[in-house]
Amino acid sequence: MITALEKAALVNRLLSFALPGGGLPYYRQGGPSAEPALLALLALSASGAAGVSAKPLLSWVSGLQNADGSVGLNPDHRSQGLWLTAPAAVVFHHFGLKEARDRTLGFVTSVKSVTVANDPNIRQDNTLTGWPWVRGTFGWVEPTAWSVVALNVCGLVGHPRAVEGRAFLLDRQIPSGGWNYGNPGLNDRELLPFWDTTGLALIAVRGKTDAARVRASLDLLEKSQEKIVSPCGLAWTVMSLESYGRDASRLKQRLFGVMNSQPDDALNTAHFAAGLIALAGQKVFLP
Amino acid sequence: MKRREFLKEAAVLANAAALGGLARGGQQRPALCPVTLLSMPDYGRDMGKEIADIMAGDGLVLKGKKVLLKPNFVEAHPERPINTNPAVIAGVASACLRLGAAEVAVGEASGHRRDPWFSVLSPALKSMLDRRVKCLDLNHGDAVATLNKGGRTGLPAFYLARPVAEADVLISLPKMKTHHYAGVTLCLKNLFGTLPGIYYGWPKNLLHFRGIENSILDLAQTVRVHYGIIDGVVGMEGDGPIMGKAKPVGALVLSPFPLAADTTAARLMGFDPRKILYLVQAGRFLPGLRAEDVVLRGENPKRFATRFDCLEDFKRARGGPFF
Repeated sequence: MITALEKAALVNRLLSFALPGGGLPYYRQGGPSAEPALLALLALSASGAAGVSAKPLLSWVSGLQNADGSVGLNPDHRSQGLWLTAPAAVVFHHFGLKEARDRTLGFVTSVKSVTVANDPNIRQDNTLTGWPWVRGTFGWVEPTAWSVVALNVCGLVGHPRAVEGRAFLLDRQIPSGGWNYGNPGLNDRELLPFWDTTGLALIAVRGKTDAARVRASLDLLEKSQEKIVSPCGLAWTVMSLESYGRDASRLKQRLFGVMNSQPDDALNTAHFAAGLIALAGQKVFLP
Repeated sequence: MKRREFLKEAAVLANAAALGGLARGGQQRPALCPVTLLSMPDYGRDMGKEIADIMAGDGLVLKGKKVLLKPNFVEAHPERPINTNPAVIAGVASACLRLGAAEVAVGEASGHRRDPWFSVLSPALKSMLDRRVKCLDLNHGDAVATLNKGGRTGLPAFYLARPVAEADVLISLPKMKTHHYAGVTLCLKNLFGTLPGIYYGWPKNLLHFRGIENSILDLAQTVRVHYGIIDGVVGMEGDGPIMGKAKPVGALVLSPFPLAADTTAARLMGFDPRKILYLVQAGRFLPGLRAEDVVLRGENPKRFATRFDCLEDFKRARGGPFF
């Protein structure tokens, strides 16, 4: 059992990375970046610590929103990293910033991945529209999953883009279970699943998908528990198993141990924040 | 452009290059590029001193310099040799410290897998490195907008990971592999991993859209590689860079000229570099395309020369014997 005091110590450690200007870097001595700030805000919210400590981060993130509703990587490169708009929508939703949230959703629903005709040698449906990492390119699992999560959380579960996004994700699922960056296989051979991407994709499709369609992925995470060792992999595995009502208590203990033992120079604040969300047990990525 | 069109164009360019028309416009005599083959039958040997001796012999000055080692990590697979072996990275890092580098870091922006635990933050890698060597996850961090000096992709700038932009010396440490779109992936293709995923995604699909070969060339013109060391101890043949099979070659290929390292490695793999489009085009601005541009040192190349299996489309790029 992880105590409230122990969780508070982890929150304080995360906040010790905060920069004077209000942002958070991925790693100590880096510049501020949107993703760690967004996940940290959700971690603070999930941990019940979203009071005074969240204000500078929230203000910094809000300042990254562009006129078109998108949220960029950092103040110097605001036009880059537009995939971050979807997690920003989740944050604005949880913090009650309705106007900012609606603008992010407007942007998210306007961005479409490039589609192409199907290739008989590749068993995936290239005509499905998802979300790209960068405008004007193909759809991939992670940005699509984040966008579907954002639409779900913000009450747009039935939006046509969310419906097609879920279809996209299910199409990219590896037949024997799990997801990777977005190619289930090549030349009739399956590619390897990634734990973090699998966890996020499972959360995105939860609730509107027949359980049988994702059972292999859930089973894969469950039976692979001993192999999952990174903070990021553990965090997303915990969140996804718990989202489906499966037991993740042993994994949570391991996650806690790994987070505590990480040296400062290897600590990725975005992954650490995801770990905090997982330990808090609040399902911030579900409607 | 499709693979077959690449190959067709490569053949045209190769003929032109052979006639001396394209490389350096036929005006300037190419520099002679030293390339050393270091026998390395397996990864069990401490290779730091040997590598340091070769780098010093090549005139690489590292004293007081900030050195960035750029290995190739794509995915972690239990059986396939996809990534630069940690023993090679550790050996090169040790060599740099021996040569007096002020700072040595290992940095990579892995192309498929986001979780840095599977690349440069892997505990297995860290356990092999000297404590003074830093490991940098280039996917998640600051970038510097740098003018694209190539112009083939139409991208005005590249967002280079800050440690790449700020390094005094960049050493490219790729795995010797076939590549299903480019033919081979070596020192120059390895430059994709200087671009952070938070800017370009996983995979860096924008570069695919702008043309893999165009992107390699633009990066090769924009990012200076000061030294290349190719891990050919065990390479990958067939459907590389991730789906192929292990191919033991038993050598490291070292050179201060990345194109010369790449073309020599290609010849060791049984490919004619003059039939691989991006290598031919790189020969317009980098020395080392032609065999006569290269001075081979170290072991006799015949010891290592082999024939990598490859996809059907690249069988036309085969050639040799070269040695």
